[in-house]
Amino acid sequence: MSSETSGVGVGADDAEMKRGPLGRWVDKAIKNPDRVYRAMFYVATVFFLVTTLFPFYWLLVLALTPNRLITNMGLLPKGFQPEVFITMFERVPFHLFMFNSFVLGISTTVIVLLIASLAGYVFGRLRFPGKSILMLGILAISYFPPAAFLIPLFELFTGNTALSIGAVTISSPDLFNTPAPMVLPFSALFLPLSIFILTTFYGQIPDGLEDAARVEGTTRLGALFRVIVPLSAPGVATAGVLTFIAVYNEFFFSFLMNNGEASSWAPIVAGILKYQGQFDTPFNLMAAASIVGVLPVAVLVIIAQERIVSGLTAGALKE
Amino acid sequence: MGDVKLEHVSKHYDDVTAVDDMNLEINDGEFICLVGPSGCGKSTTMEMIAGLTIPSEGKVFIGDREVTNLPPKDRGVAMVFQNIALFPHMDVYDNISFGLRLRNYDKEEIDRRVERASEIVQLGGMLERMPDEMSGGQRQRVAIARAIVRNPDVFLMDEPLANLDAKLRVHMRTELQRLHKELDTTIVYVTHDQAEAMTMSDRIAVIDSGQLQQIDPPLVCYNEPANLFVAGFIGSPSMNFLDGEITENGFVSTNIDVEFDPANVGVEVGRDVTMGIRPEDVYLVQNERQVANPTHRIEATTDVLEPMGDEIFVYLKLAEEAHADLEEASVAANDQLLMSVSPDSDIEEDRDVEVVLDRTRVHLFDTETGIALSHGIESTIQASGPADAEAESDD
Repeated sequence: MSSETSGVGVGADDAEMKRGPLGRWVDKAIKNPDRVYRAMFYVATVFFLVTTLFPFYWLLVLALTPNRLITNMGLLPKGFQPEVFITMFERVPFHLFMFNSFVLGISTTVIVLLIASLAGYVFGRLRFPGKSILMLGILAISYFPPAAFLIPLFELFTGNTALSIGAVTISSPDLFNTPAPMVLPFSALFLPLSIFILTTFYGQIPDGLEDAARVEGTTRLGALFRVIVPLSAPGVATAGVLTFIAVYNEFFFSFLMNNGEASSWAPIVAGILKYQGQFDTPFNLMAAASIVGVLPVAVLVIIAQERIVSGLTAGALKE
Repeated sequence: MGDVKLEHVSKHYDDVTAVDDMNLEINDGEFICLVGPSGCGKSTTMEMIAGLTIPSEGKVFIGDREVTNLPPKDRGVAMVFQNIALFPHMDVYDNISFGLRLRNYDKEEIDRRVERASEIVQLGGMLERMPDEMSGGQRQRVAIARAIVRNPDVFLMDEPLANLDAKLRVHMRTELQRLHKELDTTIVYVTHDQAEAMTMSDRIAVIDSGQLQQIDPPLVCYNEPANLFVAGFIGSPSMNFLDGEITENGFVSTNIDVEFDPANVGVEVGRDVTMGIRPEDVYLVQNERQVANPTHRIEATTDVLEPMGDEIFVYLKLAEEAHADLEEASVAANDQLLMSVSPDSDIEEDRDVEVVLDRTRVHLFDTETGIALSHGIESTIQASGPADAEAESDD
């Protein structure tokens, strides 16, 4: 009690002062700083969870509310209409758009991983003059705004560009409404990141393992795909998942390089926009389609995260 | 089949020459050690045999094929690495059978061979283990099994025992020798440990700064080293070296004189030479009778004793000999001599003793070039009598 009368609380830890719940909490936190860190962790986690998950909740609210009631929305759905998840497939063949997205995503990922593996091997494991400049150049590509390429690429992929060699004139093929005009720019734009990731991973594999594989009977390429890539599985998975998600989310080329029909390899972007008619905008259907579209990626991330975290321990090596 | 030949092979990296005009012939079935200090080019030499490094100049032959530019997989070699280099994502069976599977052997043949290889290296019952579940010695055995399973023409071993503890290393050393007896395949073995090289190999190739210094059976390298480097590198502890000069009376230095007739040994008078004598060829005077052809007595003071159990190493400080004819007091480091004596010797620190050298084991090297001039100076028995007396009267 003496400390209360003197007005000096700090340091007089035997004193029992009259404090509110916050004052007691602070007092305990000073004695046990772990409490503060834990509290900060919870605050940060809750903040991130709210900012990332609230949009999904909002989508769900919109999807479940019948379209005619979507005005002045609150935090709760103004109705309950789960049939929307069936209607959305009846109105538009959304599964076909999703299939297109998958094909685009997977083929881009395969191309990117193949080329980035070769590049990553070269940058990570070989020594040659001009390496860092070349690497910088590749990274610089990823800073280019895709819009800068749009017009020339559009001209090229629609067959409006011709190359004359002497008397022979070769016109570029018309690839509009095929996967190529999307997959090619995607691959080019997303390669630098994957090259960068794989370079770091491949560079860490000890030379001895590659030498051993080569003496045992592989070529350099064989050693890359039989030893270096499997041992860099976390890196390859990371690069692959990031590429797939980036393609799946891509809007610009996905929207412009086709006529928006499922038969023309248009991805989910076109699918969602397709619900919009001339006279109505069914927000509930679009929200439902968005949720369905997000699900595969969410599942992929959960699976891949396991893979990335588990990794492979390189225990058989004494360095 | 398994003979290896290097012809004028060199390897340059930017401004560094790792291997300089190496000529090496290894016979089929031979166990040869490439030995030298770290950075001497022995590993580069082996990598060029394996094909992991392409030589800048020269040719490499395995058997009767030139393999200089062939990739490692087409050379018929197998290699055991210093860091063991098992594939961490494969179990023991997959590691051993890796090369066979690449060559599309059928399943039964692979099983049979893996079985046999794992028997040879005593790995029975461990085929399903992952490398990180095994001890260092077991991993090393898997690496050896992976090498022998393909029946290669040549085994290359790059310091395979360097990462094992001392006891296991000695054990694996005998296992490797047994393996060599059993398989009778050429083995090229790189090591920086001269004891390993001495005990295991048929011949030793001593390499220094990218150049082959000597290639001979271990005892020849020990007893008749071709130059100062080999003399100093082979043998532990190292040979004693004393810088001096040849006069009409023999070898003269600030601390030790050895009398002989230079003409008989074939060394011209006035040449700067380095005398080499191994610690076990220095004897206490009371043991002089063990030496058939001793030098005159040399006065010294014992400095530090190192009892090893089976012998005692004695560091001797030599008394300075007065020489009017030796102009420059050549080298200050000349005043120490290492001697090994039997453990029952009556010897203590800081005592004045007299020692003799075994004349047949005295080596003379040209100080400038390091090339050996003579091994043993016994040919002066008759002349030594009066010369001895003269030297003693000088003192």
